[in-house]
Amino acid sequence: MYLQAAAGISPQPSFEQICSSPVVYPGNRLSCIEPDYTRRIDPRMIRRMSRIIRMGVAAALDCLKASGIGMPDAIITGTAYGCLKDTEVFLSKMVENKEDLLTPTAFIQSTHNTIGAQIALLLKCHNYNNTLVQRGFSFESALLDAISLLEDREAKNVLVGGIDELTDTSFALLSRFGSYRRSLADSTSLYEEQDRGTIAGEGAAFFLVSGEPSGNDYAKLEEIDTFYKPGGANRTEAYIRDFLTAHGIRMEEIDLVITGRNGNAKDDAVYEQIERAVFKDKATARFKHLCGEYPTASSFALWLAAHCLKEKKTPAGILWSGMEAAPRRILIYNHYQNTHHALYLLSAC
Amino acid sequence: MADLKKQIIAQLNLKNLEPDNIGDDQPLFNEGLGLDSIDALELIVLLQQDYKIKLTNAEEGQQVFRSVRTMAQYIMDHQPGSK
Repeated sequence: MYLQAAAGISPQPSFEQICSSPVVYPGNRLSCIEPDYTRRIDPRMIRRMSRIIRMGVAAALDCLKASGIGMPDAIITGTAYGCLKDTEVFLSKMVENKEDLLTPTAFIQSTHNTIGAQIALLLKCHNYNNTLVQRGFSFESALLDAISLLEDREAKNVLVGGIDELTDTSFALLSRFGSYRRSLADSTSLYEEQDRGTIAGEGAAFFLVSGEPSGNDYAKLEEIDTFYKPGGANRTEAYIRDFLTAHGIRMEEIDLVITGRNGNAKDDAVYEQIERAVFKDKATARFKHLCGEYPTASSFALWLAAHCLKEKKTPAGILWSGMEAAPRRILIYNHYQNTHHALYLLSAC
Repeated sequence: MADLKKQIIAQLNLKNLEPDNIGDDQPLFNEGLGLDSIDALELIVLLQQDYKIKLTNAEEGQQVFRSVRTMAQYIMDHQPGSK
């Protein structure tokens, strides 16, 4: 599968900015840098869109524009939390009004598939439209759905994206569960001291994928695999080795490994063991200090890897060990809460 | 009517509009402000929430929500103690 175009809205303004001087955030929370939506979306439609919908729709439109394809054969989105803010609004109103009055717009737009639906409405696209909600596998499930369509030749190109938002309420609730660091000087110090909790994040990343090369692709997604609750780092190590063996990939053929290290001692212990045992002496990189942790953060990693391959450079700010200036093949290994593990193998076109 | 216009703008999130941009007799739907059926639901909520007026007859809505003036009139006619 070929990544014909990639676009995203994240706490970082652009890949170029990540290369030159990534935005550093104080504290334990990263928020997306939002563009001027009126340049992308009809203002009459914007008024009804919550922040996550605007982010998703704008990223999708940017991606389509970059690909030169106006009408995709399918639109597939992956999101774990869906339109949280709208859900909060209508649930709060229900309580405030003693279940007597709902806010129609927030209620209608609170469903997980609103972003995919809004993209279709804007494009007047009546093609296949699906939203996958699978917690830490939401984006991977969307990609697998896209792969199925391409392999079955039911679509020539698919617009696929991963989106999740962080709201004040979700941040407060997840903080109470101990998900985020209690004290963190800034986003760059995330990995310096291993502690309980990570850094909160959000983002929207979209890709135009096709089964055939276009001649101007960002990258080729050679393989993707997921495994759930592998049962310890040894089993995880075995899964990764099996993945590489099954696809005939030797370790020396991988130039860069991007892992989902997030500063949480419990989560990073898995990465540490895998890096020592499987990726020893490999150039490794990390990305959660740029986008934060969220269930579809792997979509940001894919966006980042696709740009590294397209631009033939690795931003210095993501390198963790080794040096890899112009990678030709990248492996992404990310896990969400040590339950949802995903592997992506990409190569330059 | 200026207050009602402000409430409509807030309820429908019409960020690009000021109360002065809405004419008293300008149609709210179709060729006027261009509101749609979801906005109609929001206006029903506005009446109930801010004025404690429950619009029970759907057909009545077409007349009530024709313009800001018709809405204001309906509110005045149905305010507690107006009859």
